[in-house]
Amino acid sequence: MQGMNNMKTYLSNKKTIALFTLPALLIYTLIVTYPVLQALFRSFYDWNGLGGGTFIGIQNYIQLFEDPLLIRSLRNGALFALVLVVFQIGLGTLLALVCADPKVKGRKILKTGYFIPVVLSVTVVCQLWIAIYDPTNGMINKLFQLLGIPYQQYWLTSPAVSIIAIAFVNAWQFMGFQFSLLYAGVKSIPEQYMEAATIDGCSKWKAHLKITLPMMAETYKFSFILAITSGIGAFIQMLIMTSGGPGTTNYTLTFMIYRYAFMDSEYGYACAVSIFLVVLSLLATLIINKVFNRERFSH
Amino acid sequence: MLHVIKKSFKPGQLLLQGSLWLYFILSVYPLYWMISYSLKNNDEIFSTNPFGLPTHFRIENYINAWNNFNIPRYFLNSTIVSIVSTAGILLLAIMFSYATARMVWKFSGTARAYMMIGMFIPLQVIMIPLAVLVKDFHLINTYGALVVPYIAFGLPLSSLIFYGFMRGIPIELEESACMDGAGIFRTFFSIIVPIVKPAVATLAILQFLNVWNEFLLAYILISDESMKTLPLGLLFFQGQYSTDWGGMGAVMTIASLPTVIVFLFFSEQVERAMTVGSAVKG
Repeated sequence: MQGMNNMKTYLSNKKTIALFTLPALLIYTLIVTYPVLQALFRSFYDWNGLGGGTFIGIQNYIQLFEDPLLIRSLRNGALFALVLVVFQIGLGTLLALVCADPKVKGRKILKTGYFIPVVLSVTVVCQLWIAIYDPTNGMINKLFQLLGIPYQQYWLTSPAVSIIAIAFVNAWQFMGFQFSLLYAGVKSIPEQYMEAATIDGCSKWKAHLKITLPMMAETYKFSFILAITSGIGAFIQMLIMTSGGPGTTNYTLTFMIYRYAFMDSEYGYACAVSIFLVVLSLLATLIINKVFNRERFSH
Repeated sequence: MLHVIKKSFKPGQLLLQGSLWLYFILSVYPLYWMISYSLKNNDEIFSTNPFGLPTHFRIENYINAWNNFNIPRYFLNSTIVSIVSTAGILLLAIMFSYATARMVWKFSGTARAYMMIGMFIPLQVIMIPLAVLVKDFHLINTYGALVVPYIAFGLPLSSLIFYGFMRGIPIELEESACMDGAGIFRTFFSIIVPIVKPAVATLAILQFLNVWNEFLLAYILISDESMKTLPLGLLFFQGQYSTDWGGMGAVMTIASLPTVIVFLFFSEQVERAMTVGSAVKG
């Protein structure tokens, strides 16, 4: 009894609790919470990053919706997300289904090979692909030349293909990540379901389509959220590979934030763009959640 | 079951498994290409031997990269920032999780939920006020400008994973320690910390990789050449690659080695930590 009482005071010692939680809470509040609130607050100001700035109501948001760069950025974000969805989720699903087959040999090597690009720095990957895309000496154009295919491209400077080429670099680098998620999703489905279906005379692929994929709704929910919010927030690849150019062709929302804040010193306006980006990402997350939750109930 | 599998004909199987290896090549070949051109000179890369194995193994590319550029400095900065940040994340997260998972207080749930929100906040919305904050604190171009934010960003996920681990520990362990007269700190360090060691290892690897590769924040907060981390320092070589591809390849290979080695040693843990951690967001 003595021990139990002791235990209670022991686990609810206020000083210890404060000592254990305050460092984490303080640093988190300073670096995460405070800036988010600050961004929201400053989005209603004409502010150059110094001093107090001037309150201008929703003027920044009105300006944003009239900004010609907005449409371009949204379009690029959508294309970026589309490439990720098709390549990572589409191709990734096929690979995961095939790889989950018990007869596959060398699975460990395959999975390791798929995942290696994920652990590289984005800078290395982008610079590697700058070399691969190089019009005269790059790997792709050289390879086409070697194979006698007269298809040569300015991969990063031609407006028609550059956004796709850039998005592909991201899709390639993080494929291993999505693959791991999808593979774990496939593996989580009890084998009896597939066995039952194949015994009923269903072909393996049809069984996958009817059973495996619908049962992976949870996994897909997350995969789609990841791919689409990555598209909306895309930036680093554009920055490193083309500086958003030629001109502003490869601008994205984050590129707008970066430019308005750190090049034009329009911090207030940049904050409004960043709030717009967060709202858009949350909206996308909510919609994807809704779609996949309904999906799950109908099965 | 076996019967059904046997009936499915071989060429189909071959084609499907072939596709797995085809993607394997797409995933790995660019890296092989990078390493191989890091051992060639421009003549070989551009005309005489663009695809084959290097014939002369021009190690001098590596020696030049290491000596002529700021690589050792970047390497040192990355190492310091990654180690200090990772240690900070683990220490604060493990203490915070102990207080929220095991100790009894009114706002325990609130504090935990508050910390979790951080996983849903994109860096883009934080970066402008953070840049101003770092400037106001006169931290621009210091290790602190990176270490403090990296610790803050690492906390939500790490706390979540530690929390899960700690909830699973039977209360009897603490009770008996307490009856033996051990203080809470001794219990914490000699009983709880050893039990969550597997989580510590996994998170240490994960956070180290994240911090080592972080680019965006470093790009905004660090401009001083002597304070740059590797991902940032590498940008300096951009534009130079046209004159010296071999050197560029060597630089990129050097920068990638630490994370690739860590990954090859702990691949299962890294994959699990990355995917489990992020799946929580969905």
